[in-house]
Amino acid sequence: MTNIVSIQGLQKRFGKFQALNDVNFTVNAGEVVGFIGPNGAGKSTTIRILLGIIKRDAGNAEIFGKDVWKDSLEIHKRISYVPGDVTLWGNLTGGEMIDLFLKLHGGGDKQKRDELIKRFELDPKKKAKGYSKGNRQKVGLIAALAADSDLYIFDEPTSGLDPLMEAIFQEEVEKIKKSGKSILLSSHILSEVERLADKVVIIRQGEVVETGTLDELRHLTRSTVTLATKGDVAEMAGLKGVFDFNQKDDEATFSVDNQHLDDILVKASKLGVKKFESVPPTLEDLFMRHYEG
Amino acid sequence: MKEKLASWPTLFLLFLKRDWKKIVVWVAGLGLFSAAYVPAFEEITKGQGLKGMFETLQNPAMISMVGPTPVETAADYTLGAMYAHEMLLFCSLFAMVIAALHVVSHTRKEEDHGLLELVRSFQIGRQANSLAAMMEILFINVLLALFIGGVMISFGADTITVEGSFLFGASIGMAGILGAVIALVMAQIMPASSGATGSSLGIIGLLYIIRAGTDVSNADFSMVNPLGWTYLTYPFTDDNWLPLIFALIFSIIMVVLAFTLEGNRDLGAGYLPEREGRDRAKKSLLSVHGLFIKMNKGVMISWLIAFVIMGAAYGSIYGDMQTFLGSNEMMEQMFAQSGVSIEESFTGTIMMVMISLVSILPIVIVNKLFSEERRSRLSQLYATKVTRNQFYWTSIGLAVLAGLAGIFLAAGSLGGTASAAMEDNVTMDVVDFFAAGFNFLPSVFFFIGLAALALGWAPRLGKVVYVYLGYSFAINYFGNILDLPEWFSKTAIQSWQSRMPLEDFNAPSFLTIIVISIALMIIGYLGYHRRDLMEGA
Ligand SMILES: Nc1ncnc2c1ncn2[C@@H]1O[C@H](COP(=O)(O)OP(=O)(O)O)[C@@H](O)[C@H]1O
Ligand SMILES: [Mg+2]
Repeated sequence: MTNIVSIQGLQKRFGKFQALNDVNFTVNAGEVVGFIGPNGAGKSTTIRILLGIIKRDAGNAEIFGKDVWKDSLEIHKRISYVPGDVTLWGNLTGGEMIDLFLKLHGGGDKQKRDELIKRFELDPKKKAKGYSKGNRQKVGLIAALAADSDLYIFDEPTSGLDPLMEAIFQEEVEKIKKSGKSILLSSHILSEVERLADKVVIIRQGEVVETGTLDELRHLTRSTVTLATKGDVAEMAGLKGVFDFNQKDDEATFSVDNQHLDDILVKASKLGVKKFESVPPTLEDLFMRHYEG
Repeated sequence: MKEKLASWPTLFLLFLKRDWKKIVVWVAGLGLFSAAYVPAFEEITKGQGLKGMFETLQNPAMISMVGPTPVETAADYTLGAMYAHEMLLFCSLFAMVIAALHVVSHTRKEEDHGLLELVRSFQIGRQANSLAAMMEILFINVLLALFIGGVMISFGADTITVEGSFLFGASIGMAGILGAVIALVMAQIMPASSGATGSSLGIIGLLYIIRAGTDVSNADFSMVNPLGWTYLTYPFTDDNWLPLIFALIFSIIMVVLAFTLEGNRDLGAGYLPEREGRDRAKKSLLSVHGLFIKMNKGVMISWLIAFVIMGAAYGSIYGDMQTFLGSNEMMEQMFAQSGVSIEESFTGTIMMVMISLVSILPIVIVNKLFSEERRSRLSQLYATKVTRNQFYWTSIGLAVLAGLAGIFLAAGSLGGTASAAMEDNVTMDVVDFFAAGFNFLPSVFFFIGLAALALGWAPRLGKVVYVYLGYSFAINYFGNILDLPEWFSKTAIQSWQSRMPLEDFNAPSFLTIIVISIALMIIGYLGYHRRDLMEGA
């Protein structure tokens, strides 16, 4: 049994609106799967079905080989979940909420809890209504990370966190990954997925449009390059793999097929590079590229 | 000050545009409810009707519900006098509640949702929103007052004078304004909108109960009660405009107070201080029922205290009853003939009122589960070893406990105070009060059952349970005064129980309603068990 999560032909409609059309993917043991897609694509809906919060209309969804709706209690004993918008009771403190989550989860590691509170710089004595969005998110993350589970499900978990905290989250996820646990990470921050995920599932309008390792996907994408040269930068425009060329004085901005990066750098250094900036493909680029065909 | 209020007219117009449908329903609905029963009341006045009604309403139980009349003899009791006597307090109460809810939703609630932050980032003064909300309330209530006056005059009934009609309308309109200013102050003091709503309604309820006590003992004391400034205008008899002037002055003071409070606090904060909490949870919190108790603790304690006060307020009236009988020969005879004491008669009526109010708390608790669900607070919890079963039955269990405690406290406090007030001439002991109270247990269960049914199958309809409670209360309220057809009375759940201690305990009806209620809870569970949890929807 290596499939921790397995989803086939999943469908869900809300009234007339078909939120999920056809969702298929698996998460294998020890694997980190990045689940990406634009807003409203159906990521949270898929995850809610996996948690038994809502019921699927058609298809199959299993975790640990058990049905996600019927056996939700059995499944929940072995998973941790953090929603994208952690909501807390205003009159409870962060510390109390974490303890509550851990207790209801069935224990959890006290030492780990305290360590995480320190790392995330959370004030556990503050009432939740005084927390910012980022701090609420930390409460959910600490509760999930301190619990010992076999599968961790994160739904855009770092929204509202500052970059420093985002990095800490990523380190913690890497630790979990090293200990052989499985992770389903929904995100729209490609760099986060890039760093952590073994496999990426792209969903759009309720359908999985691409599944594969990041490298497999990345060859499809372009980086955005800003380049200023001593020579005439316009010469770059004609190269293979350069698109959307825009020039302003001696500075040009264009996108580059990653396969052709080498040729382009060779050419640029011949012209004499004054300035070079490359922005890796964002999720949007990935989508644009994917839909340009 | 001027810049703080900048652009309020823009917001005011925006409110009107946004709310116009609500305003139409509000003015037409409440207006017709207040004014349009003139022909129905004309029917009652035929024959000995007026005289009989006058005597009935001399009963302290009735005064504690509907209020006093300045008329001293049955001969002077006209259609107008009766209409104002029976309708004005009730309609004023309604007007207050609706206006209070509206104000909280336009001020504190929008603030909690972060809408105000957006609004204030434009060129709009700090207090423009509150002023606009008050102006809207003023506009609506002036409209309401004129509408009521106009409708009443249109019937062309004797003794429904033009001055009286507009005074009647103005009293109800002023009630709305009073409710609104109370809510506006509470919206500043409380740390969140739910607290502002709860405390405003609590205050209005308390004013109603306090005036019950003062109306029976000495109506002059009701003149210091803001709610008193509405029905003590006595339209069609004394036509006294003075209380409205008190009300106006009071409203202005409250608005100034609210504005001062608002000006000195941060957006999103309240005046009640925030204390530092604990960094680790107490053992008692670490379970679903521990959490739910903590979640509901504030509401439960405040309501239970309110029940005790309510019982004590009504209980204190018992001391005056024999005095009243001594002064009214006809009543004395009536009670002597019927074989029940005046105290028992009063208990039967007042217990129905109290237990209707007690029912609110369990409904609040059951509905709370859905509001938690909507705010997505349950999802991360649900992903642990917790089941829906636990969420549901913990809420229902807590509601049942709250209902039991509510009845116990209300009946006990009524009985205790009454026994003390009656001194030597005791006709009932405390056990009788408990019996009369718990006799209504099925109706409390029934409301829990209805709320549970809604929670399971159509959670958005949870609020409708309050509407049915209000409806039942109105049926019982008017059932005391008017002769409603049997089938009509029976649409109110409380009327399925006997009126103890006047009547004997009706065991079959008691058990039947309990069983039906439990069935509703189970059916609700079947729905809750299988439906999608709604997050942010
Ligand atoms: N309870 C619901 N009722 C109606 N529509 C919903 C509900 N939940 C989600 N949707 C709709 O389903 C689509 C997918 O939403 P979601 O799964 O939250 O997207 P994502 O998490 O990928 O941003 C959206 O268009 C959203 O509006
Ligand atoms: Mg989402």
